[in-house]
Order: sequence, then structure tokens, then C-alpha cells
Amino acid sequence: MPAAQLVSAALEVTLNKLLDMDPTSEHKLAKLSGKQMLVDITESPWPFVFSFSDRVDVLIANRDEESQADCQMKLSINTLGVLKDSSQITRLIQNNDLVLDGDIHVAQAFSQLITEMDIDWEEHLSQVTGDVAAHTLMQTGKSVIARMNHRISTLTTVLAEGAIEEKQIAAHKILVVDYCDKINVLRSDTARLEARIQRLERQLGQD
Amino acid sequence: MSNSQVSDSNDTAVTEGAEVVAGDKQSDAEAQTHFGFKQVEKNQKASMVAEVFHSVAAKYDVMNDLMSMGIHRLWKRFTIDCSGARAGHKVLDLAGGTGDLAAKFSKIVGENGQVILADINNAMLNVGRDKLRNLGIVGNIDYVQANAEMLPFPDNTFDIITIAFGLRNVTDKDKALASMYRVLKPGGRLLVLEFSKPENELLSKAYDVYSFHLLPKMGQLVANDSESYQYLAESIRMHPDQETLKGMMDAVGFEQTSYYNLTGGIVALHRGFKF
Repeated sequence: MPAAQLVSAALEVTLNKLLDMDPTSEHKLAKLSGKQMLVDITESPWPFVFSFSDRVDVLIANRDEESQADCQMKLSINTLGVLKDSSQITRLIQNNDLVLDGDIHVAQAFSQLITEMDIDWEEHLSQVTGDVAAHTLMQTGKSVIARMNHRISTLTTVLAEGAIEEKQIAAHKILVVDYCDKINVLRSDTARLEARIQRLERQLGQD
Repeated sequence: MSNSQVSDSNDTAVTEGAEVVAGDKQSDAEAQTHFGFKQVEKNQKASMVAEVFHSVAAKYDVMNDLMSMGIHRLWKRFTIDCSGARAGHKVLDLAGGTGDLAAKFSKIVGENGQVILADINNAMLNVGRDKLRNLGIVGNIDYVQANAEMLPFPDNTFDIITIAFGLRNVTDKDKALASMYRVLKPGGRLLVLEFSKPENELLSKAYDVYSFHLLPKMGQLVANDSESYQYLAESIRMHPDQETLKGMMDAVGFEQTSYYNLTGGIVALHRGFKF
């Protein structure tokens, strides 16, 4: 069975279902209509091509063939998470963690389409369960998530304090910063010493 | 009877009379073709195939999903992935049936592109047209009743031609491939998705049992027509295997011809370019 096509079909159905639930997606998709964007994630066995019209069609590209997509993006899965912060993009490109080729506006519009998805889950849920049940479910869900986040945050603080103050199995943040500073001083001292030794060696060689 | 067998009988003919008889046999063979496992007159095959598709048109999509357990959708997706289609392209979906490929191409080529859904069978074309219109796919798609052997389009018209599960029903495949080559633009590509020969002997045996015993029964149950599905199984066995079809494409002028076996070779996608 062509596994790649199974994955692209699942991705396509999910993406279009989500876009259908977002009333603002039509306007955002119109900006991309007729364009294609290739996303090649290093860890993925296949690069994906997103073809835009009044919906998104997901195709599988062949790495051995030259792509004709309007914009091509190559990155690793770790970089994908960093992409949310647009101020990091220049640094990623400079470090070769992100390779962008073609029309950057397509990449920006695609990113906007995905990250600015505005779905009123309660509204969609109410079509199945009715208004009251949907509202109750959503409120319960939100309160459970808030409580879980609070618990996780408390647990993290307790564990961190226990490890640093009581058990002393981890260093305090200030100590780590101080240690890093000392390492930096040592590194520059070593570099200076290395340069001095090289200079002396050159002098000896001339004598 | 194959042409080579006729040539052998010519070699043994010693008298002028015998040569005439052998010549008559040869012309008889040339006038005949296969319809499933049966030998029929060439001019009868198109109408016999038409009868099959008139009979199955209404239940075509349901039967496709049932027979292939939905995998035909993935085979078609693979065809589109290999097509290199993009906005503005002109695509011919030959033997397009109920328009699965045409629907997807219509979205990809956009309003500046064009898709032509062509089929020799009017019943299939009507089912396809109704289905696509109901899906809201209109504007850049046209419907043409056309014979693949004599395509009614000017030379160098299309960027992409696809024929999915249609070539085996064509009477003269070489003529059809040549016709496709003619209407393809230089730089364009042909994609032939068709049943083929399984690579594995065990799979081949299981596939035989499935297609000759189970398939006609499913056809009878769902479409109330076992004969058409018996023909389907037989026509698959009579279709050229992967290498033969590749050779046929090379012979009419296609270049960089290659094929991909899908689901163990039960289906193969052949791709050829015109330069």
C-alpha cells in the first residue's frame, strides 16, 4: 500500500476540516490561491507539497526530481517549533537550519494560515451536543486544563527547590551563570595563551 | 491467436493456395482482438466494452471502493503526485470515468488551467459530470466524449495526460498511445495507471482466487451484474505486463519511460515524457 499517499491523504483531510471550521480561512486561502509550497522536513521520508485553491491539496514530492513549487522550505523537525518566533527566522537561515527558496510571501501566508487559525470549538461542538452541553463541556475542559497547568507549575517549583535547596543535587541558577562566565573567561585566556605561544614559536623560527 | 503463430503457419505453406489460406487466417487474426478471454471482431470490442460500462456506471464508485478496499484512492493520489501538475496546466483525464483524478486536477491547475474529462462512454461521462457538479467543481473543467485512439484535439495541446484503469479496455492500444503522444505538448508527460502483473507468485495466486471467484460474486451482489466483473478480471489478465507496456510507450516515441509497481505489482503506474 502506498504509505506516503495514506499519510498525505490524512494530512489533507485534517487540514481541510480545520480550515472549514475557521471562518477567516477563506480570505487567507485566497491570498495563496494557485500557489504551491514544498515543505521538506529532514526527518520525514517524504517532502510534502501544499497546493492552494479554495482548499489545500497535499501532494508528495520526489526528492530526486526538481520541484516547481513557488516556495521551498527545508528544515528539521526541531526548527519547526522555533519557527513560531518570527524574530528567529534570520538566525535560522544564517545557521543553515532553515533553507528558504522562492517566494517568501507564500511561506508567510502559509504560516499565517496555520498559526492564526481561529476555531470556535464550542460553536462546532454545540451542533452535535446542543448549546448547554457544549458550554458545560468547554468550561469543564478549560477549568481542568487550568488546574492541570497550575499543578504542573507547582510540582515543577517544588521539585526544583527540593533538588537545589534540600537535596543539593542540582546547582542554583546563579551558580550555573557564574560557572558559565568562568568558562568564558578561561576560554578567552586559553585563546590568548595559544596566540602568544604561536607568536613565540614564529619568533624562534626566525632566529 | 497471435500474429507470430500466424507467421509460423505461413512458413509451412508450400503451395500458392495454402499461402492464400494462411494469408486469410492472418487477416482474420488482425481483424480480431480479445474481450476478456474471448476473441471478438475488432469493430465489436468498443460496443461490448461500452455495454459493460453502461451496466456498471451507476455503481462504479461503490464497486471500486469495495473491490479495492479503498486503495484505488491511494493509487490515484500517487498518479497525481507523479504528474507534476501546477497552476495553469492543461490536463486531459482520459477514460476519466467518474472523475476522481479530474476533481483533484481541477483544484491544482486553478482558474488559469483547464481539465478535460474524456471518456468514450456517455453513461460514465454523465455520472462523472453530475458527481463533479454536485461537488461544486465547475469553471475549469470540460467534458468530452472521445475515443482514445482518435483524440479530437490539436497536436501539442496538453501538459499532462492521465489514463487510469482505461487502457486495457482500448481496442488498439498502440494507436491510442500514439494519439496521446500527438496531443501532448513537448515537455508534457503521460501517466498510465493500470492493473498489471503481481511481482510475487504467492500474491499472484491469491489475487487470481480473489478476482475470479470473489469479484464476480461481489458484482452480482452489489451491482446485480457478475458478467461485467468477470470481464474485469479477464481483461486484467489480458493486459500487457509492466515491461511490455513500457516497450509499447517507447515504440510510439515516449522518452524516459519508467514504471512504479503499486501494491506488489497488482497495479502499475507507467510514466513517459514527450520532448
